[in-house]
Amino acid sequence: MVTARRVPGRFADDGPEPDIRYIRTVDSPNCTGACGWLAAVQDGTIIDLKPAADYPDPAYNPRCCLRGMSATSLIYHPDRLKTPLIRAGERGEGKWREAGWDEALDLLAAKFKQIAAQYGPESIVFFNQVIGTGNVQKGAQVRLATLLGASYATGYDYNGDISMGYTETVGIDSLESESSAWAEAKTLILWGANILQTRMPDAKFVLKAQENGSRVVVIDPRAAQTSKAADLWLPLVPGTDGLLALGLCRLIIENHWLDLDFIRTFTDLPLLVRLDTGERLRASDLGLGTSDEFVAVVDPTQSAGPVNSADSANLAANSADSADSADSANPANLANSTNPDENNPATAGGTPPRFVGVSPQSLRLEDGTQVSLQGSYTVRIGSQPVTVRPAFALLSEHLQEERYALDNVARETGLPAGDIAELARLYAQNRPAQIIIGMGVNHRFHSDLAIRSILLLGALTGGFGKPGQSVDIYSGQHHVRFDISPWWYPDGHRPNVISMHYVVMPEKSPTMNAKVHLPRQGFHALFFSHANIFTTSHVNEWQRIRENLDFIVAVDFMKTSSTELADLVLPAPTFWEKYELVVTGPHPYAQIQQPVIPPRFESKSEFWMMKELARRLNPEWESYFNLSEEEVIDYLLANGGPISKGITLAALKKGPVRLNLPNPDVPLAENIANQIPLPPRAYPHQEGAQREFLKTGRMEFYKEEKSFREAGESLPTYKNAYSHLTAEERKFSLAFMTPHAKWRVHSTHVNNPWLQNLNRRPVVEINPSDASSRQIKDGDKVEIFNLYGRFQLWARVTESIRPGALSVDHGWWGRYLARGEYNNVLLPERVKPVQETYFLPAVYAPGQLWKDPRVEIRRVD
Amino acid sequence: MRLALLVDLQRCLGCDTCTLACKQENGTPRDVFFARVLNMETGTFPKVKRSYLPVLCNHCADAPCLRACPNKAIFRRSDGIVLIDQDRCNGTGACVSACPYGNIFLTPSDEWYFPADSPYEHYAKARLEPGKARKCTYCAHRLDQGLEPACVVACPGEARIFGDLEDPESKLSQYLRTQQERTGREPFRLLEELATDPSTRYLRPVNGTATTDASSGNLSGTRAAR
Repeated sequence: MVTARRVPGRFADDGPEPDIRYIRTVDSPNCTGACGWLAAVQDGTIIDLKPAADYPDPAYNPRCCLRGMSATSLIYHPDRLKTPLIRAGERGEGKWREAGWDEALDLLAAKFKQIAAQYGPESIVFFNQVIGTGNVQKGAQVRLATLLGASYATGYDYNGDISMGYTETVGIDSLESESSAWAEAKTLILWGANILQTRMPDAKFVLKAQENGSRVVVIDPRAAQTSKAADLWLPLVPGTDGLLALGLCRLIIENHWLDLDFIRTFTDLPLLVRLDTGERLRASDLGLGTSDEFVAVVDPTQSAGPVNSADSANLAANSADSADSADSANPANLANSTNPDENNPATAGGTPPRFVGVSPQSLRLEDGTQVSLQGSYTVRIGSQPVTVRPAFALLSEHLQEERYALDNVARETGLPAGDIAELARLYAQNRPAQIIIGMGVNHRFHSDLAIRSILLLGALTGGFGKPGQSVDIYSGQHHVRFDISPWWYPDGHRPNVISMHYVVMPEKSPTMNAKVHLPRQGFHALFFSHANIFTTSHVNEWQRIRENLDFIVAVDFMKTSSTELADLVLPAPTFWEKYELVVTGPHPYAQIQQPVIPPRFESKSEFWMMKELARRLNPEWESYFNLSEEEVIDYLLANGGPISKGITLAALKKGPVRLNLPNPDVPLAENIANQIPLPPRAYPHQEGAQREFLKTGRMEFYKEEKSFREAGESLPTYKNAYSHLTAEERKFSLAFMTPHAKWRVHSTHVNNPWLQNLNRRPVVEINPSDASSRQIKDGDKVEIFNLYGRFQLWARVTESIRPGALSVDHGWWGRYLARGEYNNVLLPERVKPVQETYFLPAVYAPGQLWKDPRVEIRRVD
Repeated sequence: MRLALLVDLQRCLGCDTCTLACKQENGTPRDVFFARVLNMETGTFPKVKRSYLPVLCNHCADAPCLRACPNKAIFRRSDGIVLIDQDRCNGTGACVSACPYGNIFLTPSDEWYFPADSPYEHYAKARLEPGKARKCTYCAHRLDQGLEPACVVACPGEARIFGDLEDPESKLSQYLRTQQERTGREPFRLLEELATDPSTRYLRPVNGTATTDASSGNLSGTRAAR
């Protein structure tokens, strides 16, 4: 049917058929979506976008969201950077001189040469956000930083996205299933993970599972977008996630819902801990092996562990060992019993306990089903008697503390006890069960403890390694999926990789790891690319640090609130105007960006900028950029190791290609199926680089290092989220949350007029009870403040947020607020000593504390 | 033949991709959204329920807008799609008043998103004339080329299903049958009691009823809700 009359829409007019080209590409603004798009181009202008919907696995079609759909409003935004800009007035004054590329790059080269000569090249720090979004282009910047011998600051840790609880437990920063595997879950626990909003292209797998009868549990102080799907919504008190997790662990133990086989095979919980030193007993202590090996005890009297295994289907394999353990969950039975035989008449006169060496090279335990998880034993080390206990015994004793009792957990988390018990039952018994941890749990000083506690919940019940049964955590596109080091790190050299924390912190951290190298004369130049650091991070600190920086260079496609504070601004193309190789965590496909339109205005690719800069800095370096950008894609794939082997640019030009990953790609599936010790390799680091912080090769729930022992954090323990604050910082009565916004990717799209049309001004969500006690009405202009600063915006009074908490969407630029910057109230940068115990960039490195400030709010007129 | 859109509220994420896909396709000016998503909170903490209701023209069989137009600019195609002839429309606004769903847009002048005539908006503006009543066409122009509506192909939840209600083998009819068998859900329509006989249909979420409240509530104010 054809409508002859003129109606709105793209009806053919009388003119000739327009000449439209369709080009397939992928967007990558750090949302982790990495969605394929088909752009329609007429006369060199993008006139339409549609999801490419060409993934070989049709379950992934279509991938898209409102932000990707609005990309044209960024591509054609009037605030696009058009030419290189050289600052003409004071910093931030907004006075610029447009420059040609030669002048801009000559200036940059001269400044870098001068600063490198005066203070050493490591005083120049490069920072480009979320490298997985730009392996070619951002990789070129790392490559140049390497040649220059400059410092390179990783974003993963600085952003607080790094999941240190995951590293501390599993030895790798984060792992996640490909999203289609979620659909296999019978229970889905979205823990501070607002998936329907932050992972729109993947969220359907949650909703489809629910359509097929699965139960969805949402843990979030706000009735956020994802609560729409909640069968059970648990609006806990902000920051009490770790207590909830440990309370659930206690219920799991009390109800005998343990997977003893998993606990013995894949965790450190059977390994013996010396009570005199707090360190693990080594095989060498007993002459059973080397000092790299550990010890477990085979003890038929204790072997069934703390449960009556007949209660649980998980334990079928162990049922032969379970005869006499019905009461063993009773704490009284966990008391020290140096001679377990005396307490167990059923086995009196049986085999005495036997100590066995445990190698980190193998997960197999000798007489595994009889390895004790309980009890207390005495060994002789030298001439001294030393009491040792399995880590599990210490853990189960720890969980007997009153604070982990259901009633107390309910009180502290503000949740009904019945809901907590229901969650424990669902997770343990309605399987497969999937936990997805989001940024609502992370971004806190003590979030590593909360994440360790959630991982414990998984480990106790064997909740890993199957489709729909895993504990996943957001990695963003930080997590590197294959070996990019040949491109980033020429000749095997590396830049001086540091955590941005140490650039921002006013004083050197007293516990900083010795592997972190700070330039002797401080940092003097900052080169940042695609990062809005002066707005979305430590606003107050940066103000002071900028004063000490001789030169600030910004690369971006948009004039942002951070480029406005630079000395030199270099215009890059958008993702729609250049070549790039893109991979992400939530789906397994490699894709390429290709220029849908030529770079707009005078913008040039980051690769081109680096090649030109390299030539100016040292003529010999130009040869490091001799490949074309397309050739770099092939080079990366060919040298990326087994995961990218065989994938070529030519294949990617035809569409997305699945990386060489298991199907479905589920964390630790291979380790668990084949009993391969942990951790999986964290690219781009060498195989084995993570071993020093996961010495057992197992999930570690007991951290023996001094830093953990001194902090009282050897075991997953609960610490109040605000306990690290000073009394002055704590006296503000409200929690302050800054979740990701629906309308942005961090601060990208904040100035997108289509999305602004639906999200007109910044609001703070406040519960009516908090609002009325402060005479705040919906729509009022309000000020949020604490010791460190203040900013103003408008109140949105809503029942959808827990009393005692405020929520402001992250990413607003100051220009849209009524006054100030939303990060003015942040706590000063602080680093947790346990997170400095080791240093492996973007794997073992400090986290962040964005969600920890306490604030107050008042109406302003 | 009766073409219709079904929105499965179980699969709807509340993401507004439909809202923007429509804008991308139809190039609508500022404040004009042929497709929108109503975001609703009901109850008091902690008994709060959030729900989303995507709305668009219902392409009613007995369309009040069609009857109200003094210029006979609104017509119904034989496939059931209700359209506004931009040449006949005089911008009286009678249809806007008549539509109980608030899904017809008439702005005295068109405001655009960028101050200057940007390359992108150039293509959108060429297709629209200010001062005329406009609304969702079910992307009739795409249907005429054998394509599905823009909001359907761009729904990341696969929550929008389009097809012929009268053809038992259409994608829409099959989907309804399958859902009836598997989840026991029957479709409903908005403001059924007004007897406008809407084409657009909905399925409730499997776990909730809150959205159903909105289906019988007063939606006339929803245009202002944005």
